Amino acid sequence: MSLAHYLTLAIALFTIGLIGVVLRRNLLVAFMSIELMLNGVNLSFIAFSRYLGDMQGQMAAFFIVILAAAEAAVGLAIIVLLFRRQGSVQSNLFQNLKDRIEV
Amino acid sequence: MLDSLQPLVFGMLALIIFISAAFITFSRNLIYSAFALLGSFTGVAGLFAMLGADFLAVVQLLVYIGGIMVLYLFAVLMTSGIGDVRLTNRSIAVKIALPLALVLFFSLGKLIFETEWFAQQTVKIAPTTAAIGDLLLTKYLLPFELVSVLLLSTLIGSVALARQELRNSKENHD
Amino acid sequence: MQVLDNAASFQYFLPEAILGLTLLLILILDLNKELSKSRLIAPWTAGVGLVLYIVVALALRVQLPEAITFHGMMANDAFTDFFRVFSGASALLAIFLSMHSKELEGVKIEYWILILGITLGMPVLAGANNLLMIYLAMEMVSILSYIIVGYLKKSRKSSEAALKYVLYGATASGIMIYGLSIIFGVSGTLDVLEIQKFLVNNPVGTGRIALFVGLVMTLAGFGYKISAVPFHMWAPDVYQGAPTPVTAFLSVGPKAAGFAILLRFTYTALAQFNPETGIFTPLKYLDITGLMAVLAVLTMTVGNFLAIQQNNTKRFLAYSSIAHAGYMLIAAATLSSLALQGVLFYLIAYFIMNMGAFAVAIIVINATGSEELTAFKGLAKRSGGGALIALLMMVFMVSLVGLPPTFGFVGKFYLFMSVIQAKLYWLAVIGMLNSVVSLYYYMRVVKHMYFDEPEDDKSLGLKGFVFPGVVASLGLATVVLGVYWGPIVTFVQESAQLISK
Repeated sequence: MSLAHYLTLAIALFTIGLIGVVLRRNLLVAFMSIELMLNGVNLSFIAFSRYLGDMQGQMAAFFIVILAAAEAAVGLAIIVLLFRRQGSVQSNLFQNLKDRIEV
Repeated sequence: MLDSLQPLVFGMLALIIFISAAFITFSRNLIYSAFALLGSFTGVAGLFAMLGADFLAVVQLLVYIGGIMVLYLFAVLMTSGIGDVRLTNRSIAVKIALPLALVLFFSLGKLIFETEWFAQQTVKIAPTTAAIGDLLLTKYLLPFELVSVLLLSTLIGSVALARQELRNSKENHD
Repeated sequence: MQVLDNAASFQYFLPEAILGLTLLLILILDLNKELSKSRLIAPWTAGVGLVLYIVVALALRVQLPEAITFHGMMANDAFTDFFRVFSGASALLAIFLSMHSKELEGVKIEYWILILGITLGMPVLAGANNLLMIYLAMEMVSILSYIIVGYLKKSRKSSEAALKYVLYGATASGIMIYGLSIIFGVSGTLDVLEIQKFLVNNPVGTGRIALFVGLVMTLAGFGYKISAVPFHMWAPDVYQGAPTPVTAFLSVGPKAAGFAILLRFTYTALAQFNPETGIFTPLKYLDITGLMAVLAVLTMTVGNFLAIQQNNTKRFLAYSSIAHAGYMLIAAATLSSLALQGVLFYLIAYFIMNMGAFAVAIIVINATGSEELTAFKGLAKRSGGGALIALLMMVFMVSLVGLPPTFGFVGKFYLFMSVIQAKLYWLAVIGMLNSVVSLYYYMRVVKHMYFDEPEDDKSLGLKGFVFPGVVASLGLATVVLGVYWGPIVTFVQESAQLISK
């Protein structure tokens, strides 16, 4: 298996995640898609690390895992907070804050 | 023997990852999406192992499947009763975003195959745990310490968000 | 440049260690039942810690030579020290504003801990010399910001703002870290100075296109942090929904930290510095200054034109802060020592006038309970200090437009001077045209305050001298530094020193 195979898979994961964030209106799915993106990044880092023979890529992946967990915790806390008040997790329902254009 | 199996294992893992990732993003049922995370995370852990990152593979299993996925399952359960509402503008978004994403994917993929990467020689696979431990306490000491401050503050902050909410809902019930 | 190991580096990290200890001290003090009842203990401890932080940072600036510390993780130079003082001061003011804001009455200790955590992340971001550190520090600032934006649990807007912030932020940082992974793959190192060395020695190769893609993705992450168009979408919503003191903090502190890393990265990794002539030359084939100039033009134009339509005070100030990011970006794009000084100078000016404007906004929101711009109507005629506050607001508005004799004018002068010196006349012209547009909407506030009648007869109800005193000294600083800015120039000239190979 060559480096390019791993990188292609990493990009596939990253792009699917990006599509999920942009397209899906369900907040939980959006956050899951962000996890996919970060998984893709980790795969890319570790593949580079292996083919460069350099541990730094693995260290980066290690820290990304930690930060992804912290981000997920905060994101889900906010989602649960909003859900309790509003009873929905659709992102298009949160339209209190937007430009009101009055000429 | 093992080397000849490599493409097969890679292909299987890639298939698992790809299918479950697509499932997460496009499934209309939240529970299915949450469980599909399992396939994706495990597959990536398998690839980590193939790439000689044994420690990271275990970390991936522990943190992602043991932690993050369970967190998502809880969130799905706590916000249960919500399907995915069908949106009228969904098809339009798909028409624009999907081609864009495909263009992104193929151009980046093309880039990867055309680039001559820095080094192609593979180093012999060896256990990495000791090396990572060494690095964490030498070169990566500062990020390690900073991450601990970050995790502490995040913990306090997340608990603060959730705790107060409980108190509020109790007040509402009374 | 000498790379220090962990033991030798610790003295360079003393200020941040103080900040971390203050954070823990607040937690420990809260364990005591008697002490935890007092609402003032935590903010005061945080304040004292921050003052100590600034003092130690200033002392170290004189005491220690610049160095690469922690095995290459951090670059401790005058530039980093500048942002230490800057972050500390902005946090100090944010804590002060939080204590006097009605929205944040009765906050728990977590709030102050989060502010300290963000403050710890900002100088680390400014001094990051490793791609991993850049990501880590940026996430440290962002993740904790998500929480304080959503800190008003009773306000729906606050939670919604937090949610939008998390979604945009997580996506942007995901894109950025992917870009960083490509840079790592091409150059084989995470160290920013090593990357520069690699780029200089291998100017052409097939990795060039991949590297450029990686750089653009990284730039997206930085652009998100400084709310540059097209990554600005989160800013108005978040600024409107967040508690006002938090908005003031976010629009100054983390934004400055974003500028710091943008400057450090473009000026050290993507340019060659000649210490004798003091000239930065962009690397061949990897010149992103043109891209930055386009972003700058978009940022200030979109910010200014959308600010005109706003009726909410915080949204209005959000778009104004986007526009100001644009002004600073045009200078950053010219890649010269003068531009570096200009941006740092403008950051100080922006700090004073923006914090001042937000402080006045807090006074008005406290008194009227309304966040609409109409609450400013007849401010000069309100009882309880209305005349003074309206005068101060006028000073801040004039300074934000960039008219003499204010600090904002001098700041803009320095920015445009660096652009003109780089012979980018079109950029300077667009910048000045934008300032004219901004005149309209800033002066609308002044018109509201002086020529309209108040909609109700509520008094501003300012009590004591402390809060008005601080706002007045910000106003006084805006005017005095607009006439006598020599010391600031010296300070900025000393600060615009980046370690580069």
